[in-house]
Amino acid sequence: MIQESGQPVDTRQALPPLKDLIACHECDLLMHHPHVGEEQKASCPRCGYELVVHRAQMHRRALALVLTALLLFIPANFLPIMSLNLLGQNAVDTVWSGVVGLYHSNMGIVAVVVFLCSMLIPLVKLLCQLLVLLSLPFPRWRPMGTQLYRAYHHLREWGMLEVYLFGILVSIVKLIDLADLHLGIGMACFIALMLAQVWLEVTMSPHQVWDALSEEEDNHART
Amino acid sequence: MRALDAGILVCGECHRLEYLCEGEVQHCSRCGSRLHMRRPNSIARTWALLITAAVLYIPANLLPIMTINFFGNGAPATIMGGVLELIHADMLPIAFVVFVASILVPTFKLVGIALLLYSVQRHQPMSARQRILMYRFIEWIGRWSMLDIFVIAILVALVNFGNIASIQAAPGAIAFCCVVVLTMLAAVMFDPRLIWDNTDAENEEDGRAELQSNKAQD
Repeated sequence: MIQESGQPVDTRQALPPLKDLIACHECDLLMHHPHVGEEQKASCPRCGYELVVHRAQMHRRALALVLTALLLFIPANFLPIMSLNLLGQNAVDTVWSGVVGLYHSNMGIVAVVVFLCSMLIPLVKLLCQLLVLLSLPFPRWRPMGTQLYRAYHHLREWGMLEVYLFGILVSIVKLIDLADLHLGIGMACFIALMLAQVWLEVTMSPHQVWDALSEEEDNHART
Repeated sequence: MRALDAGILVCGECHRLEYLCEGEVQHCSRCGSRLHMRRPNSIARTWALLITAAVLYIPANLLPIMTINFFGNGAPATIMGGVLELIHADMLPIAFVVFVASILVPTFKLVGIALLLYSVQRHQPMSARQRILMYRFIEWIGRWSMLDIFVIAILVALVNFGNIASIQAAPGAIAFCCVVVLTMLAAVMFDPRLIWDNTDAENEEDGRAELQSNKAQD
């Protein structure tokens, strides 16, 4: 991928029109809008923040990934991730049973946080992304897509599938010497869900989505 | 030059640029969100969340986060206790991961955000580049502290054999969970542009700007 950096605006010259400008979101540096080609990105020359990335075939790829992730969601959360065998007794763990287990230990708040971070927010994020992608070809739906994409950005860092996966690994290490441990099909689904979600996040580049959402005014998407 | 010096506001949600109209409440023409020069009351709100987190940090580390009952012997385990147990079991790499995620990271976040706030308020001579790197690191690493909470959730569901063996979550987990959520919120509240608003390099580069962070904040 070719990396470019934005060109800071010269203070002594007159400002170009707003649509040819871009400001760094993290340090507020004003730059000329870098027009990047496919699979290129541009970053802020002062703080290094990634300004724009242009992904080829963003819409089709993102749609395929979001559907994959949604199909994996139910098996990943409700099929057994692992089972533990101790003196003839068997206990099975799913993401959902973890939430229920915490609730029954009188840990309502913690159960809610785990439920939000590992189940609800990842699902809502995926649904937001799906609806935004579906609304892009239809100008009438775009205002709804815009609001959903805003919501998605607020939820972004609260979905913690990769952290949960690491939690599963730590638990395996803790229990492996203690008793008979078997991995279940839910584990494979959970890993696949996490990979699809990370890939989706890389594919769906925000500025491309925002430009596509405001296309009706500009008539063409900026690259 | 900063966008603000050119009289341009950046939408906090969709990054669209709009000209600043003095004395008006402005909304983004693309996504409709309210526009601010900088996130409102960023410093005060971040401090409030940070101090609350710091108070809860004490019970989070002192109280047990889970009770392990094995053949009738109940033993409460604190966060540090869990790490020590892993070290005694010769599982050093995992012990290290848990130590970093649940002890080092929350501590670093509390100290790091406090340092950022202090340096922004007092115009400390820490370079802006260092500070932005620290901010990004804090923002990125925050979620990983949830690791221990997820481990508890899995263990509680899995080790559930009545009197033979069981694991129950204990009150320390609530405090720890709150610390993680509050420090994540503090990182969200902090406006990274404040870091660049009061750097001296910026003043030299751009002679006309009188950069006072307190002026830029509202």
